[in-house]
Amino acid sequence: MMSGLPLWADLSFSVLPQQLVNGLLLGAIYALIALGYTMVYGVLRLINFAHGEVYMLGGYVALFISWQFGFTQDALMQNSTREGSLLLLGLMLIASMLICGFIGLLIEFLAYRPMRSQPRIAALITAIGVSLLLQYAGALFLPNSPPPSISEKVNPYRGEWRITLSQPSGESVAALAAAKATLDQRTREFDEQIKQERSKFDLSPAGVAIRDEKNRADQEFNKAQTVVNAQRSEIVLPRGQVVMFITSILLMLGLNLLVNFTKMGRAMRAASHDFDTASLMGINVNKVVTLTFFIGSALAGAGAMMNTTFLGTPMTTFSGVQPGVKAFVAAVLGGIGSIPGAVLGGLLMGMAETLVVWLGYGSYRDAVAFVILILVLLFRPGGIMGSAAVEKV
Amino acid sequence: MTHTTQKWSLGFVAAFAAVALSACNSSTPAPTDGGTTPSGGGTTKGGTTTSARPAPTKAPFTVKEGEVIRIGLVASRQGELRPWGEDSSNGAALAMAELAADTADGDPNKLIIEGHEIQLVVQDSNSDPVQGKNAAEQLVNQGVIGLIGEVASGITATISDVAFSNSLPLVAVGATRTDLSAKGSHFFRVCYTDALQGPVMAKFAYEDLGLRKMAMFTDKAQPYSTGLSESFSAKFKELGGEIVDEQFYQTKDTQFAGPIANTKAKNPDGIFLSGYFNEVGPLARQIREAGMTTQPLLGGDGWDSDQLLTSGGDAIVGGYFCNHYNSLEDRPEVKTFLDAWKKKYNANPGTTMGALGYDSTKLMVDAVKRAIMEAKAANKPVDSLMVINALENTENFPGVSGAITLKGRNGDPAKRALVVEVTKEGQKFAKAFEADAVMAK
Repeated sequence: MMSGLPLWADLSFSVLPQQLVNGLLLGAIYALIALGYTMVYGVLRLINFAHGEVYMLGGYVALFISWQFGFTQDALMQNSTREGSLLLLGLMLIASMLICGFIGLLIEFLAYRPMRSQPRIAALITAIGVSLLLQYAGALFLPNSPPPSISEKVNPYRGEWRITLSQPSGESVAALAAAKATLDQRTREFDEQIKQERSKFDLSPAGVAIRDEKNRADQEFNKAQTVVNAQRSEIVLPRGQVVMFITSILLMLGLNLLVNFTKMGRAMRAASHDFDTASLMGINVNKVVTLTFFIGSALAGAGAMMNTTFLGTPMTTFSGVQPGVKAFVAAVLGGIGSIPGAVLGGLLMGMAETLVVWLGYGSYRDAVAFVILILVLLFRPGGIMGSAAVEKV
Repeated sequence: MTHTTQKWSLGFVAAFAAVALSACNSSTPAPTDGGTTPSGGGTTKGGTTTSARPAPTKAPFTVKEGEVIRIGLVASRQGELRPWGEDSSNGAALAMAELAADTADGDPNKLIIEGHEIQLVVQDSNSDPVQGKNAAEQLVNQGVIGLIGEVASGITATISDVAFSNSLPLVAVGATRTDLSAKGSHFFRVCYTDALQGPVMAKFAYEDLGLRKMAMFTDKAQPYSTGLSESFSAKFKELGGEIVDEQFYQTKDTQFAGPIANTKAKNPDGIFLSGYFNEVGPLARQIREAGMTTQPLLGGDGWDSDQLLTSGGDAIVGGYFCNHYNSLEDRPEVKTFLDAWKKKYNANPGTTMGALGYDSTKLMVDAVKRAIMEAKAANKPVDSLMVINALENTENFPGVSGAITLKGRNGDPAKRALVVEVTKEGQKFAKAFEADAVMAK
């Protein structure tokens, strides 16, 4: 894998279940952001390029709240023992969603509504303008240098769960235990020795001998570990990411309920089907558009809050660009305008990217996402679940 | 509108998105870039040395007796490199203030050497190579005898071109890309090169930590990271170790679970993360979350930021990386420098570029002083080629980041490199490596 193409024999099939899970976790976040693109497109036929920036602002909202509760860089340096709670996470999530929702609503009201009667391309350019405005104006006011990130202590769900799929043989486990005992013994000896030395890395000849013994034991342990690992197939689930996944799924189910089983949802679907006729039928389309922007932006805010909190992503005002583009591709892939399409597109993208990495082509990951997009658009121009019906204007 | 036009506009938008994505990846500047060009030897004539590198040909910039001598500094005071750029310009300002206070000319705010007032003129590069070039040209128009800058290799390369075509010396602050010094005899730096820090970490990993099977994570979008991974793996293999896996990611990626799962299957002894702290922090967190809890994490000077501790959390504590100097070192130069910095700016320098900016300015002023002396002795006005010559003949200049010798080294000083450990209190000194000992086969 170092150079050239990987050999198929190189593939580790024991990793595959783990990679499938990874793809699912990654895809859920793509899906969450993609929903915002698809909902706005569905109603207004507008690609809201500022969606990525709403996402970016959501990260900052979460950051500021964590700072309010004392999880600052300074507190961290002073070895603060403060720990987060589910309540704080919930507060961060709701605040990010609400504030992002209002920002989205504001963008629609100030930038897109005046352009609604103009040609569609004018609204598209306006969207790009809003996106750039938020990136560069944000850089003037928001902390971005060095890029701040949310302290991991905010998240009380650290650590991981493990699901074992196949057990290693008793023999290799015993060998591992024996190697571990030797290693522990050697480590203790070395730790004793360090107390008499000037520093861990400035050793006397006796110290060097003991260190080398320890290192040898370490390598024996590592060999035994490799044998065990090869026999054991397991899935490691970081708890934070599980929380992320469950929250994303709950939010998507909530959206599904709203769109399919409420009066407002019916209005949204009607406006999406035919904006002008819906308005003639007495549907308050402005209210529908407002709600659409609010919900889409709130979902982006949720995605941003979870990504920054559980993954430790550092923030700049440009950090919405990449997730925005990825999610947009996911939305187009699934069929822009279709809500189940966005979810499917997001999951598919996450899965495809992870499998490409598994195959050893990690450096072509983004390229593969776009190749898939081009293929889908060639054969199904409307996306996987997009309507192939002729659009009447 | 018909169905067909909708298809086309979608395709157009997708293509636009693709361009936007690739642009956002490639536009990220690299503070330090990789490269592995060995430096040739210089020729020694009697007491002084002339470099074997191509010499600038334009007539030098000359300053008449008693006139002001200006030194130009290009710094990234805005843009993505601001933390480093601000430190470098603050370091330069501190150096100038100290020098001015030291000279016994009656005015603590003016630096006067042999009847010449020395001034520092600063221009902003906005963290961008093209704007860095403009800044350098502006400084040339303002009449400078030499240039200082930058913290990033990409910007330094464009400044170096401007300096070369105007026969001006350039002292680079934190540009570690190896091939920069081959451009011409006008180029000098006060930092080590990437050809050193990779091998330093390899030696440390193999000999001091006893690691034999390493995995690497490389940021494909950063020449710095790819170069560092290359020089690390070359030395590590030469020592007898094995690189069992290399995974790639790109600047601004946030989720690394896929590559990490691949690495985990190879069960390495330790992991080398050659990218910048922005991605290294989350990467470290996710490596630990994926169940690789014991493998030591190592990296290069791209880790150098306090922010690493928040983005990396407990996962990054105990990691080792290569740095230019350490604020906890007990050398007197370091103590004096930190005291002066705290007095002037009320805080500690956030990055090592504070010390390197300070060193490069003091070195430049020292070279100007030596050039003035030489001009006086020969009864000629001082010019920029004399400063180049003075820099070339620098020996054992006492810098905060260690002694700097440029004589016969083609612009690359034999600097010490420090391995530091990340702790909650900051960077703790682990071990120092002398350049010549590391590079020896």
